[in-house]
Amino acid sequence: MAVTTFAAIDVGSYETSMKIFEFSRKAGFKELNYVRYRLELGRGSYTGGRLDVNMVDELCEILQDFKKMMKEFGVEEYRACATSAFRELKNPILIIEQIYQRTGVRIEVLSNAEQHFLGYKSIAAIETGFKKMIQKGTAILDVGGGSLQVSLFDKDALVTTQSLKMGSLRIRERLKELGKQNIHYDQLIEEFIRNDLTAFQRLHLKDRDIKNVILMGDLLTDTIFKEELDDHIITRAEFINRYQNTVDKTEEVLAEELGMDEEYASLVIPTMVICKNFLDIFNAESIWVPGVSLLDGLAYDFGEKKKFIKSVHNFENDILVASRNIAKRYSSGKNHIQGTTDLALTIFDSMKKVHGMGSRERLLLQIAVQLHDCGKYISLGDVAECSYRIIMATEIIGLSTEERQIIANAVRYNTTEFVYYDERNDDGSGLDRKRYLLVAKLTAILRLANAMDRSHYQKVQGLRAVLKDRELQLIIDSNRDISLELGLLKDKVKFFEEVFGIRLVLRRKRKM
Amino acid sequence: MMDLKNFEKPEYFVNRELSWLKFDERVLSEAKDKSLPLFDRLKFLSITSSNLDEFYMVRVASLKDQVHAGYEKTDIAGLTPKEQLKEISAQTHELVHTQYNTLTRSLLPLLEKAGLHMILEHEELTDDQKEYVDRYFEDNVYPVLTPMAMDSSRPFPLIRNKTLNIGALISKKDRKKDKEVLEFATVQVPSVLPRVIEIPSGKEGVRAVIMLEEIIERNIGKLFLSNDVVCAHPYRIMRNADLSIDEDEAEDLLVEIQKQLKKRQWGEVIRLEVEDKMDKRLLKILKTEFEIKNEDIFSISGPLDLTMLMKVYGLDGFDEYKTPKYVPAPVPAFQNDKDIFQVIREGDVFLHHPYMSFDPVVNFVRQAAKDPDVLAIKQTLYRVSGNSPIIAALAQAAENGKQVSVLVELKARFDEEHNIVWAKMLEKAGCHVIYGLVGLKTHSKITLVVRREETGIRRYVHMATGNYNDSTAKLYTDCGVFSCDERFGEDATAVFNMLSGYSEPKRWNKLIVAPIWMKNRFLKLIEREAENAKNGLPAYIRAKMNSLCDPVIMSALYYASSCGVQIDLLVRGICCLKVGIPGVSENIHVRSIVGEFLEHSRIFCFCNGGNEEVYMGSADWMPRNLDRRVEIVFPVEDESIRAEAIHVLDLEFKDNVKAHILQPDGTYVKLDKRGKALVNSQMEFCREAQEKAAGNKKQNKEKSRVFVPAEPAEDPEEEK
Repeated sequence: MAVTTFAAIDVGSYETSMKIFEFSRKAGFKELNYVRYRLELGRGSYTGGRLDVNMVDELCEILQDFKKMMKEFGVEEYRACATSAFRELKNPILIIEQIYQRTGVRIEVLSNAEQHFLGYKSIAAIETGFKKMIQKGTAILDVGGGSLQVSLFDKDALVTTQSLKMGSLRIRERLKELGKQNIHYDQLIEEFIRNDLTAFQRLHLKDRDIKNVILMGDLLTDTIFKEELDDHIITRAEFINRYQNTVDKTEEVLAEELGMDEEYASLVIPTMVICKNFLDIFNAESIWVPGVSLLDGLAYDFGEKKKFIKSVHNFENDILVASRNIAKRYSSGKNHIQGTTDLALTIFDSMKKVHGMGSRERLLLQIAVQLHDCGKYISLGDVAECSYRIIMATEIIGLSTEERQIIANAVRYNTTEFVYYDERNDDGSGLDRKRYLLVAKLTAILRLANAMDRSHYQKVQGLRAVLKDRELQLIIDSNRDISLELGLLKDKVKFFEEVFGIRLVLRRKRKM
Repeated sequence: MMDLKNFEKPEYFVNRELSWLKFDERVLSEAKDKSLPLFDRLKFLSITSSNLDEFYMVRVASLKDQVHAGYEKTDIAGLTPKEQLKEISAQTHELVHTQYNTLTRSLLPLLEKAGLHMILEHEELTDDQKEYVDRYFEDNVYPVLTPMAMDSSRPFPLIRNKTLNIGALISKKDRKKDKEVLEFATVQVPSVLPRVIEIPSGKEGVRAVIMLEEIIERNIGKLFLSNDVVCAHPYRIMRNADLSIDEDEAEDLLVEIQKQLKKRQWGEVIRLEVEDKMDKRLLKILKTEFEIKNEDIFSISGPLDLTMLMKVYGLDGFDEYKTPKYVPAPVPAFQNDKDIFQVIREGDVFLHHPYMSFDPVVNFVRQAAKDPDVLAIKQTLYRVSGNSPIIAALAQAAENGKQVSVLVELKARFDEEHNIVWAKMLEKAGCHVIYGLVGLKTHSKITLVVRREETGIRRYVHMATGNYNDSTAKLYTDCGVFSCDERFGEDATAVFNMLSGYSEPKRWNKLIVAPIWMKNRFLKLIEREAENAKNGLPAYIRAKMNSLCDPVIMSALYYASSCGVQIDLLVRGICCLKVGIPGVSENIHVRSIVGEFLEHSRIFCFCNGGNEEVYMGSADWMPRNLDRRVEIVFPVEDESIRAEAIHVLDLEFKDNVKAHILQPDGTYVKLDKRGKALVNSQMEFCREAQEKAAGNKKQNKEKSRVFVPAEPAEDPEEEK
């Protein structure tokens, strides 16, 4: 069909919201309905890791309503995503199942990295100037209820992206009792966040020159700066002015002035203080508030997948750049990685019919290669385990937790013995069959490619892969001694053949 | 911002209750108007009476509450609740006096001449008639009567609010003391029987009617067989029985009264109407039992409760004494066999009721219910007619699998029970019924239809100034607009999100919505005119509404007037603003049109430096509309519709037949018509609507040779 409708639901930490979009190849996408409901799921989950029964009831009611609203616009596909409020639950799977049984809505929990990747997609989606902007130092600040995300761009690529657990709702809850006794609430917040802030400055910002600051507007920022936002730009003077006008006021006064609910108003000061402190360390002159949300990102992502939208920017590349930067931080050999990547991709591309994997898996393979020996930084003796741990502990923007798990496992089995599914006594990695298969396939390719550059000398200058019936011929082009590589390859070949069920023949390209 | 301090003095304002009484006087002046057909005058007299009843039940009751709560804050005109009640009592007595004067001195003699004999006292009956009414009593009345007496063992019975009763003194023998004692007895005039009964006149060409209470009075002896009836007289009470606190009150008062709720005297009698000839002893008993003061007693020389005159109006025949019933004209845009959605796609459509038919609005919902491409229908319902075709269509739509959401306002005054019944019915049919927001009455009138079309989702919106009530649409003047402009569609969706309890949208495209946004918007529009006037640009405000009593808006209007803005207002009912105060309101003119139809539309026109802006909607300039209700006002941007809306204002400002002009002394006078061409705006609109419809039909006929089927007859007008 030429036109279709799609609903995006965000089960956020202080608000549950839905947007319904219409997609057409001609006009891209437009918003039909935007509905929001204030529900502070984060209140329970940040402090106790559980949701109150009443809150679950309320959430179910809202989702039922949302389903009705979807029908009003004939929506057939939707995506319901939860963010930090669900990530911090002790029992998210149980709650999600309950909600599904009661409403028929299946909530997926976005990892922090996915969430912010979608958010950042939504900016790129509405603003063509974005590409130009990120040629120079640019910071994206996304203040949520549970956490905030700060991403730095330079020379058209993502430099780093960090999540800090200092969202407005979380701060409010943590300082609730203290705030009552302290008249300088703003200073209290400043002190509370200072430590994280200086750490970020020292480790990531360094002396990078930030020219642009983009504030990801959720409702709150949009409302606070309603008056300044005609052009979507807030100058520093405007910001300071508003800041001074705000921080001393009580929730009641703010609610009245901003025409918002008192519950929202209680989040205003934490949000303001966070923003101010970041602006200070960025030393930014003005802030751009594009006014987009996760919901727009979800829509953009849907439109991209369904080919309603042609992307202007290569988002996958950002993921790769981000992982390359991680590898760099752990001093992985750049040349070896590049060499291995080429080999792995050649193998991957030559046997698509055999492995049945697609472009997303190809990306995962690339990242696995990038990070396959990052553990060396910690211990040369226990690279596999250390790499695994690093990957499991590092957020990679744009990747879900599951995807990161797959990569971490493939990296681990690259150099240690592969553990078969049945033998896996639950080690907490929680791989299901589907993901297990993927790990096996990626491991097989990674092992092979890695072994071909065992000496890290990039002796293999060219590799040609030819698939003939059930036989894959790898023709290696090298004019150096590759006996080390060939020798080590033997057991890798065995595993490869086991995983894909084909014969692998290694040949050296004959010299003329 | 405007500095309004100098314009907030109490002497600049009129108390709203007293202004309301002025409105009832204007209705009464229609009853006195000799140029009107006789039966129309009866109707107007009846309306003054039902108006007054409602006024007592709601407003006087509320003032009594305030007095009981010890609330002494003054109103905008500087009057305390006590002072207001005193003034109201004086003025209502005067009003009632005029009512009965009008009835007995002008209308009854004229009815006599017209061949209708209204028998006010059973003593006037002829022998034949006596026999007829006695039989009528035995056959129909006696079985449903419940006489009740009061004596040492039986307390004073409960007399129900607003019912008509006959009180009697009966003489009983006290055996112990061996002497006659008087006892009180009472019987309710049954409301299940018609109040006005036609009886044989005995004369050719003359018809006769008598009131039910007279028949009962004549036969009252039959109810107390063993005793003598010393006297029997009708009486009627009004109680403070409104369960809710009137929404018109100020916020702090609501809090105050809520605190004092316990002290509130439930069911307190706030008005007693008695026949003026009532026996003093009987009156004394009533006074004592109802604990009522003299100023709340109305001694009446004539039949009590004149709302029964509506029944007289409804008698068959006498057509030459009634204005012929107006049949609404078809709406030109829909005089074709095009699909209603197609017509709306071709351009916005303007409706002006009752001059134009309300059918397209009903059809809009009906079509939507049937149309396979329609996904959802959403509508706000405030007051609907008894057998509403809209409700039926909504139920049908839900059965057809559409998503139907209906906002039912249960808090609509006096309609609560009625509304609950059909709300339940809609729920049963599968509609999603929303019962509005706590603390806010939903008064907006909007319908949204979501349709899936080839080019994608399209939203059709109907926005109006009047309720979705096919009956009152024949009596109330209202405007409506159909549009499929996406900006209105998006706003309409947001309105319904809000009404379902979801957060307000970040911004509105077009609609101006109360409570949060509307008042400031109007103030800004008024201020803009003031600024323009100061800068020497043309500046005027022309607005039409039912009531004007918001203090801030009024002060802003004074300010604008003092800056030189020309302000012309059409305010049908309450107007707390004064005209002609030097330096304050010399540029403000107010007129009120009271005619055949009830003026109900709200139109607001601002000069905007020559680039006129026109708005329409559901809100009056009253605190309750602007602060405590969900209301919608929408801009009229379509060129031709804007012209029509301006034409409505133009014509009503030219009216010199039904318009009453507010004077600096607070009175309303009609224009001197001598030597002027008469303009009766309502009749003019009727004529225009008919002409347009006829012209359009003719055009259509000339274009194609299709025979035009006759239009089905309209449903008989339902009585209010």
